[in-house]
Amino acid sequence: MVIRSVIIAGLLTCLMVSLYGQTDEPTVYVSVFSTKLFVVGAANPQTGMFFQKPSEDTVWHHTGAKNIRANALAVFPGVNGRIRYTASGNGLHRTRDGGRSWKITTGWRITEIWAVALDRTDSMNVFIGTAYGIYKSTDMGDTWKQVFTGFVSCVIVDRFDPSILYAATEIGLYKSTDRGETWKRTGLSIDRTRTVTQHPKDPLTLLAGTENHGIYASSNGGKTWEKREAGIDHATFYTIAYDPRDPSIVYAGGYATGVYRSTDGGTSWKRTCQGFEIEHIHSIAVDPVHPNRVYAGTMGAGVYRSDDKGETWRAVGLPGAQVGRIVIER
Amino acid sequence: MMKLLSILCVGAAAVCFGQIQDPETYLREYTERAAHIVAAFDTSTSASYYTIAARYATRNNVRLADSLFVEALREPRGDMFWMFPVMGAYLHGKDKMSEETRAAVRNAWKTYTPYRGDTENHWCMYYASLFLAAEQWPGLPGSEWYNGKSSDENRIEAKEYLIEWIRITTTIGQGEFDSPDYLPEYVIPMVLLAQFAQDADMRTRGRMMADYLLADFAVDHLEGQYIGGFSRIYQPAVYKPLLSQASAFAWLYFGTGKPTQSGWALLPALSSYRLPHIIYRVAVDRSKPYVHKERKRVRNIIRLGSEKNPPVYKYSFITKDYGLSSLQGGILQPIQQHTWSVRFTSGEPYTTIFGLHPYWSALELIMFFPEEERMMISDVVASKGTYNNPDKWTGSSPFERTFQHKNTLIVLYDIEPGTTTEHIDGFFPMTLDHRSVDPSGWIVCRAGDTYVGWYPLQEYEWIAEYEKPGQTKNTIGRPEMETDRPPMGNWRLRSHKLQNGYVVEVRSKAEIGAFNEFTAKLRAHIPKATLKPGTVSVEYRTIDGALMRFSFPDGRVLNGKRVDLKRTRLFEGPFLNAEVGSERLTITHGGERRVLDFKALRVTE
Repeated sequence: MVIRSVIIAGLLTCLMVSLYGQTDEPTVYVSVFSTKLFVVGAANPQTGMFFQKPSEDTVWHHTGAKNIRANALAVFPGVNGRIRYTASGNGLHRTRDGGRSWKITTGWRITEIWAVALDRTDSMNVFIGTAYGIYKSTDMGDTWKQVFTGFVSCVIVDRFDPSILYAATEIGLYKSTDRGETWKRTGLSIDRTRTVTQHPKDPLTLLAGTENHGIYASSNGGKTWEKREAGIDHATFYTIAYDPRDPSIVYAGGYATGVYRSTDGGTSWKRTCQGFEIEHIHSIAVDPVHPNRVYAGTMGAGVYRSDDKGETWRAVGLPGAQVGRIVIER
Repeated sequence: MMKLLSILCVGAAAVCFGQIQDPETYLREYTERAAHIVAAFDTSTSASYYTIAARYATRNNVRLADSLFVEALREPRGDMFWMFPVMGAYLHGKDKMSEETRAAVRNAWKTYTPYRGDTENHWCMYYASLFLAAEQWPGLPGSEWYNGKSSDENRIEAKEYLIEWIRITTTIGQGEFDSPDYLPEYVIPMVLLAQFAQDADMRTRGRMMADYLLADFAVDHLEGQYIGGFSRIYQPAVYKPLLSQASAFAWLYFGTGKPTQSGWALLPALSSYRLPHIIYRVAVDRSKPYVHKERKRVRNIIRLGSEKNPPVYKYSFITKDYGLSSLQGGILQPIQQHTWSVRFTSGEPYTTIFGLHPYWSALELIMFFPEEERMMISDVVASKGTYNNPDKWTGSSPFERTFQHKNTLIVLYDIEPGTTTEHIDGFFPMTLDHRSVDPSGWIVCRAGDTYVGWYPLQEYEWIAEYEKPGQTKNTIGRPEMETDRPPMGNWRLRSHKLQNGYVVEVRSKAEIGAFNEFTAKLRAHIPKATLKPGTVSVEYRTIDGALMRFSFPDGRVLNGKRVDLKRTRLFEGPFLNAEVGSERLTITHGGERRVLDFKALRVTE
């Protein structure tokens, strides 16, 4: 009896380790906007949301609609990818059952969605940035209210205070302090602000990428901004990502940039683009479990991965894809 | 078949010679034309949705239609261009098709996700098709639809969109207005709604909007050609006007132009929708020259603009021989705008003269499209191959403005140095009966009974150019030009001066007599121009005696009085009239009128 119990306990332990090992490996999600050049009405390769475990290397699985020009995505943290959104030309697609079923939660009034942001403290709150403004939902997308008018490229919810949001817009960087109800321009008024990201440990530190004007940094929640120029030879940046474990390391990418890496929190930068077929980078994400592992989504050459903190890169699939966004969730 | 063609040609000839058919004759010949189109499809064995629709509609081998339908649905593609022909085929065949076929169609609407698109014609096709589909399969949960929405949710959303599209079109004008190539994308969904919508109000809306769109075409129509000023047109239809799909619709509905068996006309030919006789009369009665003005709207501006849908003003002067028409100029539509042209009834296939500044810019594109600025041009060139070609024949320019009064047009340019092209072009077809440069400076042309005078305000050169073999309508959007193949070609007038312009006078034999009299009058009317950066203006007295003063960009003065384009009504002219915001169009001809009242959803005659 005792022996049998020991054997069973051992098997259970093995099983748990095995399971733990699998769940510990994060999932990489990417949104594919198009593959090669997209023409409405023509036969197009699959677009939409793809995902993989890093151990799958170049193998990707498709989920949801296949033909939607997926510009962005969001995954609600801590629920094993059960709640996910894909932002697309057709609207905001939502799954609440891990991808078994999907629904477009927006109607004809909302189109050309370029960003989706979630309140990690309350899964009911969803924000989308579109060509026509920002919309807010407090019921997981069943109903929407427009809260900002204008072209919006990126929306983020403050990690530490969900009443605060930031939005990169055509007329500068905007901030809301009342859960997206009202918006005011921050000290960054440069036209065509393209992206904004928040320091993982310091809520007041922000980095913003712009079209034609490089990278700006704020250390006071957006009140004032300074241009970061050391080591930067490019002007247009679509994506900036902190290493969540060591925020002194930051990655940035944009038009013809390859990947820029900073090891001093974004003050100075070095270009590290060895291995890219195309150097237009639209999204970067750092693996929260193995921070040496970084993913870059290109505009036309699929997904690239570095296993040495951005020193070298190799293609890991979805050839030809214009990748809108990469999200890695445990 | 020969007999049919003879009847059809006689019908077309009757219209050419100014005979307007009575309703009974018109209807009989319309039916024959529709049958001619259908005959090309209900005998075909290709797995095309048009073949399938035609075979169901005429019951010509329904079992074959079934098998073709199932085959076609194996790999759906085409987005909204898939949705409407599939619904058209289904609705014509649903009571005849096998259960297996019916199930295949239903399954396609569950498993294939069409892209909704990013422009007005996409949304019109998408939502009209989705509305009809949701009506056909009511009561289904979201799991039975590609978008996860229930039948009710899809039907309600589609209906809301269509009602809003109709409202905005009938209040401030269509965005993709007057497009010779995109007209079918609007008319087809409307005739499908008119025949097949179960919702009686939507049937009415479909019928009324089909009337509205075809009346809008009819009033700017001449012998199968759309007259314009257009929001969107492809090359080479811009210089071969009868290539546009609108010409197929002109033949079907107005009996003008050449017989066609275009697939775009198949669903209209199968439809129970019938064009009101008064619209046919508007399309073909050219017994008196007339001025017609319209107000449309700019496509949604999403960046670099303060107004979402600024107004477009179109001015047309149409006679039995020619139509001269212009938009006010500037960027009103990206990529395919055609700002002005004169089109005439002689000289096929090149029945037009026009000019442009062949401009392109990522900034122009991001005004209207949401994609990345740096990637925009390559994205656009994938489907609109001439966009960034300095020799292209379509497109808008922020450095171009027009001023038209009857059959006289002034076009001015004040081009920023360093912009994508630093020249302007004019198109003069090889098929002109006469083209010469008069010592006065006027370029004088004759195309049959139409005379065109063009006075360049700056020095210019002539370039002969040819179309590559095989450059037919199948290559629309991706034509290339070559300039090295003698001996005959069309002629490109090119001028490299940045401050530039020209005056265009058009008259017909019926208006002015012999061609040499036209030339003699032009000699006595020489424009006076000031052409300096920031100060581009011209003063010109027309050969009919009107004094036009035009200062770039928007200073238009006629006989001493400022012309205020903002006062232009939605439609104003002898045939169509509508006030901005009214949702009401009055069609008038020969003492009769037909009123389309979209607010009351009522037609009165």
